[in-house]
Amino acid sequence: MLHYDFMQRAFCAGGIIALLASALGVYLLLRRQALMADMLSHVSLAGVAGGAYFHWNPTLAGFAVAVLGAVAVEYVRRSYKTFSEISVAIIMVGGLSVSMIVMSLNKGINKSLSSYLFGSVVAVNGTELRLMIVAAAIGGLFLYLLRRPLYQMSFDEETARTNGLPVGWISLGFSVVTGMIVAAAMPIVGVLLVSALIVLPGSLAIRIAPSFTAAIFIAMIIGITGVFTGITASYSFSTPPGATISFVLLLILLGGLGLKKAWRAWGKRSSADRQVVPAAGSLQRVSLSED
Amino acid sequence: MELVSLRNVTFGYGDVPCLQDASLEIHAGEFIAVTGPNGAAKSTLLKLALKLLRPWQGDVTLSMRNVSGGKLVIGYVPQQISAFNAGFPSTVWEFVQSGRFRQGAWLRRLNDVDREATEQALRQVGMWEFRKRKIGELSGGQKQKIILARAFAMEPDLLVLDEPTTGMDAESRQQFYRLLKDQVRLHGRTVMMVTHHLAEVEGDLDRLITLERKEEGGWKCCTTTSCSGHFVPAG
Repeated sequence: MLHYDFMQRAFCAGGIIALLASALGVYLLLRRQALMADMLSHVSLAGVAGGAYFHWNPTLAGFAVAVLGAVAVEYVRRSYKTFSEISVAIIMVGGLSVSMIVMSLNKGINKSLSSYLFGSVVAVNGTELRLMIVAAAIGGLFLYLLRRPLYQMSFDEETARTNGLPVGWISLGFSVVTGMIVAAAMPIVGVLLVSALIVLPGSLAIRIAPSFTAAIFIAMIIGITGVFTGITASYSFSTPPGATISFVLLLILLGGLGLKKAWRAWGKRSSADRQVVPAAGSLQRVSLSED
Repeated sequence: MELVSLRNVTFGYGDVPCLQDASLEIHAGEFIAVTGPNGAAKSTLLKLALKLLRPWQGDVTLSMRNVSGGKLVIGYVPQQISAFNAGFPSTVWEFVQSGRFRQGAWLRRLNDVDREATEQALRQVGMWEFRKRKIGELSGGQKQKIILARAFAMEPDLLVLDEPTTGMDAESRQQFYRLLKDQVRLHGRTVMMVTHHLAEVEGDLDRLITLERKEEGGWKCCTTTSCSGHFVPAG
């Protein structure tokens, strides 16, 4: 399988994006912005449609619009502090409606529409791969260098602000990086499934990780396992790569949550077995712990 | 030295002002308590002082420097319920250590001084034994303690605490107030705190600010201070 050029590119692109998108996903979930990836991918579609209409490179146009959408969402988010999901709905509606209108003006794009909607990691071209590498380098550097401020901001923005952090600028930078990573991930899983790559690994990681650092690493391991398994399964069974990757990630999430539940149930049962049962009718002094 | 200054500040939520024409100065080394009924804008006053809220009218000045000329370090403890994200996948140690992630210290490697400050803060609030636990597994009172420990780990010049003893039992509360007094007397820190447990600290305060509700025309900032105050009653 790996002697094909397109498969080498698929594993390379998938691996890069899996590592980055998974780490980003943990921060997005903790900042309660899980839907942001979905929203930006829809906005990015407007860029793709616009690029095709004006005969620009659709991939680059989608990338640029995703970044602009990320900046827009940050400003709308500040206007709706209490209901930040409203900003997601507003921008998503804007992006999707514009893309549908532009597409209706340009019938030719409908042929390649499915590749943008569902993606195809095996069809990643040179431009897309270079774009992914640039996005990965900038995004990776951002997430690594600002990991401490991002930790504080993800927990509580007010305290981070009193700590002297430029919360507004970091938040804006985070949104831009999110836009870049979403746009870079689109060729792999497509507009409709891009949030699977970003949200699913983090969803399991934050439930099972013993610490914050562990959550980031576990998410990255889940992400890369899901993507590599998905690409391999897609090659073996001739199934759509984006959908297969998403489905594998979903199975890992469900399996992980199931295992965690079973582990806790087993732990409770074994600790209950260790309890000494008092003799019937005897008095027992009960002290309640602080927990 | 003046650390915070509010001059003729008016602020409200929606169209109704909850603080009107309030003026206040906080000097280095002071121990100040803010008290008053629910909804009397106590937390709002704190947030205005920290510039987390922008006043409708008036000026707020927050010093950039501490008494020794270094950068002013602020330890802020918000009301627990609004701030605590129980699902956050972090250990107690990681959480308290994040108090050391001050501006300008994002990139440097954490050293022994940081680890010692974190350990001391955890021991001060009696949470050292819980350092490896996940923060989501703690009780309400324990969560409050680690939020306080994070603020202590910062070694702040100005500590701003919004109902810091929420959820604590009587013994922990008394221990905490003793600790707070030490922060002021021994370390020269400035403390501004919203509290409903005045009896336990009143004797050690430099100033008491009482916010009262004005029955007509919405809320108004008033003060009945038993200490020498710079807080100017509105109206």
